[in-house]
Parts: sequence; structure tokens; C-alpha cells
Amino acid sequence: MTRMSLKAALLGTLAATALTGGALAQQSAPIKVGVVTPLSGTYTPIGQQVRWGLELAAKEINAAGGIAGRPVTLVFEDEEANPSVAVQKAEKLFQVENVDFLTGTVNSGSTLAVAQLAERNKKLAATTVSFADSITTDKCSPNMFRVNARAGQQSSALAAWLAKEKPQAKVFYLGPDYEMGRSTVAAFKANAEKVGAQTTGEVFAPLDSKDYTQYFGQIRAARPQVIYTSVAGNDTVRLLTQLQDFGLLGTVSVVGASGTVTSQNISAIGGAAEGFATGVGYSPQIDSPENKTFVAAFRDAYKADPDLYGADSYGVLFAYKAAVEKAGSTDTDKVRTALEGLTWKTPQGEKTIRAGDHQAMQPMYVVRINKGKFDIIDKVSADAAIGPDACTRF
Amino acid sequence: MTALDYLQFVLAPQVVNGLALGVAVVLVALGLTIIFGLLDVINMSHGEFYAVGAYGALALGAAHINFWFLLVLVPVLMLPLGMLTERLLIRPVFHSRDRHVTTLLVTFGLALIAEDLLKLVFGPNTQRPATPIPGASEIFGIILPNYRLFLIGIGAAIVAGVAFVVYRTRLGAMVRAAAYDRHMAASLGVPVSLVYSGTFAFGVGLAGLAGVLLAPVYSVFPTMGRDFILLAFTVVIVGGMGSIWGAVVAGLLLTQVQALASLVISPVWTDPIVFGTMVAFLVFRPQGLFGKLGHA
Amino acid sequence: MHDRLTLSMRASHVLALLLVAGALGAAAIGAALGDTFYLRLATEALIFAGLALSVDLLLGYSGALSLGQALYFGIGAYTSALVLMKVPSFWLAMAAAGGASLLAALIGGLIANRVRGVYFALITFGMAQVCAKVVYNTRELGASDGMIGIPVIDIGLGPFSVSAGSPAGFFLVVLGVIMLLYAASAYLLDTPFGRVLTAIKANEKRVPFLGYSVWRARMVCYLAAGLVAGLSGALYPMLRGFVSPELMFFMTSGNAVISVILGGVGTLVGALYGSIFLVVMKSVVGSWTEHHLIVIGLLFMAAVVFLPRGVIGFIRPGIERLMAPRRATEAPASSDAPLPLKAEEAKP
Repeated sequence: MTRMSLKAALLGTLAATALTGGALAQQSAPIKVGVVTPLSGTYTPIGQQVRWGLELAAKEINAAGGIAGRPVTLVFEDEEANPSVAVQKAEKLFQVENVDFLTGTVNSGSTLAVAQLAERNKKLAATTVSFADSITTDKCSPNMFRVNARAGQQSSALAAWLAKEKPQAKVFYLGPDYEMGRSTVAAFKANAEKVGAQTTGEVFAPLDSKDYTQYFGQIRAARPQVIYTSVAGNDTVRLLTQLQDFGLLGTVSVVGASGTVTSQNISAIGGAAEGFATGVGYSPQIDSPENKTFVAAFRDAYKADPDLYGADSYGVLFAYKAAVEKAGSTDTDKVRTALEGLTWKTPQGEKTIRAGDHQAMQPMYVVRINKGKFDIIDKVSADAAIGPDACTRF
Repeated sequence: MTALDYLQFVLAPQVVNGLALGVAVVLVALGLTIIFGLLDVINMSHGEFYAVGAYGALALGAAHINFWFLLVLVPVLMLPLGMLTERLLIRPVFHSRDRHVTTLLVTFGLALIAEDLLKLVFGPNTQRPATPIPGASEIFGIILPNYRLFLIGIGAAIVAGVAFVVYRTRLGAMVRAAAYDRHMAASLGVPVSLVYSGTFAFGVGLAGLAGVLLAPVYSVFPTMGRDFILLAFTVVIVGGMGSIWGAVVAGLLLTQVQALASLVISPVWTDPIVFGTMVAFLVFRPQGLFGKLGHA
Repeated sequence: MHDRLTLSMRASHVLALLLVAGALGAAAIGAALGDTFYLRLATEALIFAGLALSVDLLLGYSGALSLGQALYFGIGAYTSALVLMKVPSFWLAMAAAGGASLLAALIGGLIANRVRGVYFALITFGMAQVCAKVVYNTRELGASDGMIGIPVIDIGLGPFSVSAGSPAGFFLVVLGVIMLLYAASAYLLDTPFGRVLTAIKANEKRVPFLGYSVWRARMVCYLAAGLVAGLSGALYPMLRGFVSPELMFFMTSGNAVISVILGGVGTLVGALYGSIFLVVMKSVVGSWTEHHLIVIGLLFMAAVVFLPRGVIGFIRPGIERLMAPRRATEAPASSDAPLPLKAEEAKP
């Protein structure tokens, strides 16, 4: 038992003597949710969406009476996109703030390290951003959940659409040269080749490349119809604007990972983003009453559109609320059981957490950028996109 | 792929694109090498001054100030910033026993602050000013955007201009004299203190100019200062501390090596190659290709 | 040999004893309160203090600024992690990490010691960047995700056994290791070899005329620093249960340099105080604002400009004065007679 929970217990006893039962104090005490997310460094824009999504959700939940009658409070810590910092901050939240639940990690290294920490602290955590397949496959953890779509879901949706749109398309692959970039390209390539796409070449550029023009010669010579890329953030800005400057965008269409073009970089990319297509779990254009309310509230509060990170982070708090109310407590084991198989409503439609690997199943969308908006051009059902359960630990 | 295809689509564009990138690197390295060569100061915050220039162009561009006017305005606005930095941070430690290390440390601290301040003021998202010269030209079947052609041209003009000021004007002679022997220069009536802060400000202004010119190509974000810094330092070392021509030759050479190497090996290994070149130069020819400015 | 350098070192030892006393007190209070987080944060601070110590060995004594010392820290951490996943033995992990970092420092030293001054800084910076990139791209080492799943080990200390999962117990183990590294470094610097290093820092050109090899002295110093960093790094996966390439990144090296500057260059103990201060401050300021770089950057610049000897360099002379009168009877000549080297020259 930690110091803080001792103190809470002590407070409980005090309350018990003052009132009639300890349960009453427990009932009105806020539920604390810890958020360890990058608020500084390169991933700041993602951390900002995570923060906005969660804050909006907390505000709405509290306005509607909280979780099981208890208000929810968020405790933020900056993880600087560094697993070492993430683990230290997460431990602080678990041990000192005594949070009941933790979310917010962005890069998969942080998510995996925090998952292990959650196990050792007997707490639960969820990611709303990391899409490395490993988090819910070979490195799955009984204490980690993922409410966003993983790389496999995204690429199977995109590949299915590509097969319809351009059968037997000649595809050139361009990814950032690190684990995530390579595995994302590999996942899409496997899916695309299964449905008939041909590979005309692939190149992996260093992360944070300044200039992609040195690969344009190879791209031109390969004469592809489609370029698939898994770059993200500033790298996308450079890649797409340079493709445009060099006149390559007119002849090929560009598709990519869900994190390639987001609200963070779309305005910087400008016209070069037009026509870019990706498989993703969310678009502000989703035509449902829930999403319209969400987008309006988000814009109202933050003067910006939500992107997939904001929407998934908004959704996670409602999953937690549903689980705690179903379990009737915030106890780790009870909430875990309640989360497994849980179906709940989010702006992007109904999501279900698969009990076998803690991966959320959700309808996947193929979106294409049209006049700066993510227009939905195709939809794949949750079952078709999810792929097999490859987690063997639980 | 036929040999002709390879030449037209791969090899030739690679060389030309490498040239455009080389000009960008030279532009960033120019201010660094001047501060390094003339003041013997390692400016770790050079990348952040480059970022300040880019953000300056972005902010003033948003206020509908013409790009061509910004090319002059932003560097000029950055001169006082450079002067102030030199007075407040460089001067107090200039005479410490190990000037290199101390100035490196103090400018490293400045870089940390500048990066965070940029994020505080302009937000974390990537931004990009519109390309001032749109369109692309085709030369011998090689497509090159007009703005990159312009960059190559203006880059050459800037280098020539800087070289002229440093080597052919009275002002440049005073600067070189102060760098070579400050006491002798002072006794000959050179206002050494003013020359020092002026030179630092000049280097900062050049970083700002590079920021304005490169912002449309490489986009603008708070951590952009880290982008070029290792490459720029390599260029300065390979070229010779403070040698303007050295920076030009080394900048163009290293980017060509990078561009061509990426054709045959995984591009990820081009960074180690560049670094290996730097190590080789440090070990076998520490004075660089052209030796030190003011000492040659 | 009792001269002012010995006196300065002894003053450092007094401060180190204070640190140990404070740490033991904190451990006792922490254990009594059943605290986990603060003890483990303090353990992490001590581990990074080991890295800072190695930076100070180089910067404070041979005058070489390393901007890539995290390389050896990371090599130690990764080696330790790999060993622990196969054999959960503290001693084996430490030995392997020590061996690996020493070997790496030998190779790195052969390259970096060809040059000095700012070139040394740039080379060490570049070497660490390149190696971090290699680790970042090596699937066998977990690539960008790093490696998780390092078990919580039991550390056998003769008849006793301490679990790395016990906050107070492991804190004491780490305190022991880091203070041992401190003592070994201090001993090394107090030997005639250490004096050669100090002489190099004061005037490198004269040293060869005294019959000493500058290169060899710098190399030994570099190896020692690499070893200290590697052994400190080996403790990291035992505490946190994972390693990631970020441990080798520039920010880790940079934080160590900041710690040394804040604490006091060339005092050894200053590196320890500086690191503890930095870790605690980052944790506190980081929770308060995400713009912690501004705060740290300002403190750091202020230290370089106004307090070039750091906090410990500022208060240590006072302790030296307190100690000097008692020692004056033992060696009256040492404080007044012309010295081979002035203590001032031993500092930047």
C-alpha cells in the first residue's frame, strides 16, 4: 500500500467517524485520471490534441454528474516523448497522485514502458495514439488497453479501397527509416499485395529528413501510379510540398498512414495535401449526430478541429466511465474485467474492446483530403479491419 | 531500368537536387563559420537564430509584408538581437580560460530557451509560408522548381557579397585584423569591441536570412534549429574554421556525397558518412580544406 | 603529498559525506513513510549523477568537454539489460556493462583523443548521435521502441539480498555504487597520474617536457570516464525495467553537462549535487509548466556567466578555509609556499 492510499484510507476512517459510513466519503471523492503525454518536444501538437480531447470529455462527464456520481479530475504530466521521462512521470501519478487510470502516451516506446510500469503498480493504462501493432500483439499487457486503431486496421481498410479504386496499382513505398516507419510500410504492403497491388520500389529515408528530392529520381524512374508513405509530422510537410514543387503530384496519387497528415500539419502542407488518402479511425466529417456535437463543442472550446488523436482521447474517458460504472468500483481487476468486451459510444461510432488482446474494434474509414477537409470516401466494418488476435499473454 | 533512364531520371537530378540542398546548407553554415573564424566562438544557438529568422518571415509575411522586402527587413531586425546576445552572453565569458567551451555552453543554454520561447509564442504546429516563386522549369529533362533555381542564384550572390565585404573592404580588413591580433588591431585604432559585436550580429543576421530563404522549402516549427546544425558544423570543420570559400566547397561537396551515396546505400547511412568525413578531417587535417580565416 | 589540490579534494569529501548523510536520512524517512516514488526518483537522480560524474572527470580534470557521454551510459544500460534478461545477476550485469563500456571507450577514445577543445566536443557529440541512430534502427535491440521486460532482480550482497524492487533497499545499493565510483575517481585524481591530468589542463604544452605522455593521460581519463558512465548506466534497467535509445540521445548527455556546470566543474561532488538538483527540479518544474526548458536554460546560462565554478565551487573554498588551520600544523609549507600548480588553475 502506498503512502497516498494510506492517507486516503486515513481520511476515510476520519470520515467514517464523522459521518456514518466510509463509503459516503469514497463516493464523493473525485476519480483521478493521469495523463502522461508530450507537452514539449517534437510531439507537442499530438499531446495538445490528447489534452484537448480529454479535457472536453472530463468537462462533459462532470457536467452530467461524473463517473458513478464522482467527479473526474485529470492530472497532466509532460513526458517529452521520452520513455525514461514517461515512466518517471507515470510512477509519480500512480504513487503520489494515486490516479486510478492512466492515458496519454504517444510514441510506442513510452506506451510499452508505461504498460510494464502499470503492471508492476497493479494499475490500468490505455493509449489513444500509439499505433504500433506490437502493443496489442506480441508485447501485449493485461494492464494496457488501446482504444485507437492500430496500424493493421488502418492499412487493411486503405488496401481494400485501393484495390477497388485502382486495381493492380503500381505502388512505390517511401517510409521513415525506423521501426514504426518500416513496420507500417510492411503492414500496408502485405495487405496491398494480397489484393493485387504491384510493388515498383521502396526507399526508407532517415527520420527528420530535410530533403526528399534525392529520392524523386528513383520514384520517377519507377513510374508508379501510387506512392504510399508512412512519414509523419514535419517530414510529411516536406515530402508532400517537395513532391508538389517537383511536379510529381500531378501524375501519381499519394496515400499513407493515418498519422501522415493530421490537423497538426495540414495547414502547413496546404495545397500539396489535396487528394491524399488514408485509412483512419476518425474524420471530423463523420456524419453522425454524436460527431457533429463533438466537433462543434471541440471547435467552440479550442478554435481548432479535432483530429484522430483528439477524438480517440475524448472517447477513452467514456470507456473508462462505462467500465467503472459497470464494475461498481475503480478496483484494477474489476475495471479490467469490465473493460474487456466493453462496447461504448464514441464520436466515431461504436467501439468494442476485444477481450483477447485489449484492442478496440471500430469501423474504419478511408478519407481523402478535399479542400483541406478529410472527406470520407469508403468505410470498412470493424470485423473486416481488425485482423486476428495475436496476443498470447492473457 | 535502362542506362539512359538512370542518367536522366536518377543521376542527373540527384546532382542538381544535391546542389540545391548544398546551397541551403552553405547559407546556414556561412554565419556559423564567420562567428567561428573571426570571434573564435562556438555558437550552438546558431540553429535557433535560423529559426527566429524563419518565424520572423512567417509572422511579418502574415502581416502582408512583401517577401522581397522581408529578405532585407528580417536580417536587419536581427542585428540588434545579435548585438545584444554578444554583449550579454558572449562578452562576459569571452576572456575565460577556455573560451571555446564556455561560449559553447552559454549558447547551448540560449538555444534551449529560444526553442521553448518560439513554441510559447508561435505554438507547436508546423507552419509554412507560401512559396514566393511558384512553378517549375525543365532543363535538359530535369525538373527543378523555380524557387530552388532562385535559391541557387541568390545563394551564390550572398556568398560573393559576404566574401567581398570580408576580403575587399576596409570594414572587412578591420574585422580580420581584430581576429588575427586584437591587441595590435586595437593599438592601430580598430574599435575591437564594436567590431566583435558587429561581427557576431552579422553572423546572426546571416542565420536569419537563411531562415527567411529556406522557410518556404523546409517549413517552420519550433525545433527546426536542430535540423541543420550537425551538418553545418561539419561543413565549418571540413571547410576550415571561418573560411568562407571552405564553407562553400565543403557544403556543396558533402551534400553531393550524401546525395550520391544515398543511391547505392541505405539513406540512413548517409549521416554516418558525413560524420565520418568530419572525423577524418579532424584527425588528419584539423585546419580543414582552406585553413582559418584571418590566419591564411 | 599535501597541497591545495589535496585540500580541495578533502573539502569535496566533506561535501560528499554530507550528501551520503542526507541520503541515508532521506532513505530512513522514505522507508518509514512507505514512500515509493520519491525514493525511486532519488535513485534515478543518483544514477544520472554517475553520468555527470563521468562528464566532470573529463571536463573538470582533463579539460575535455564531452557532449556524448550518454553513449557509454547507454552502452552500459543496454548491456546490463541484455544480461539481466538472460541471467538475473546484478554482479554479472555490472561486470558485462563495465567491460562493454570500457571496450567502447577504448575505441571512442582512440578517435576522440586525436583532437582537443571544441573539436573533441563535436566529435563526442557526433559519435553518440551516430551510435544512438544505429541502436534506434537495430531490431535486435528493440529499435526505436527500446526493450521492456527486464526482470526485478535480487541483488546478492554477501549474506544479504536486496530486491531491486524495494525502493529504499535499491536506493542504498545505488548510493553505494555511485559513492564507490566517486571515491575511485577521487583516488585516481589524487595519484601522481591525477596530477599529470591537472597539469595538462593548466598547460598542455609543458607536460611533455616533464616527461609525461599527454595522450596516455587523456586516454586513461577517457577510459575511466567511460567506465563510470557505463557502470552508472547498468543500474538504470534494474530500476526502471526497460531501456530505450533516448538514453543515448543528446538530451541525456546535455543534462549531464548542465548538472556539472550547475554543481561545479572540477569538484566531482558538484556533479552529484548538480544532477540531484536537476532531476528534482525537472520533476517539480515539469509538473508545473511544460516550458521547463526556459527555466533550466536560464539557470544554466546564469551559472556559466555568473557562477563559473558552480554552486559547489562557490561554497567549497569556505570549507577549505575551515579545514586549513587544523592542517596547517601538519604541513605548514603547503599553504604558503609556491606551488607547482595553483588550485585556481585547476578550475576553468
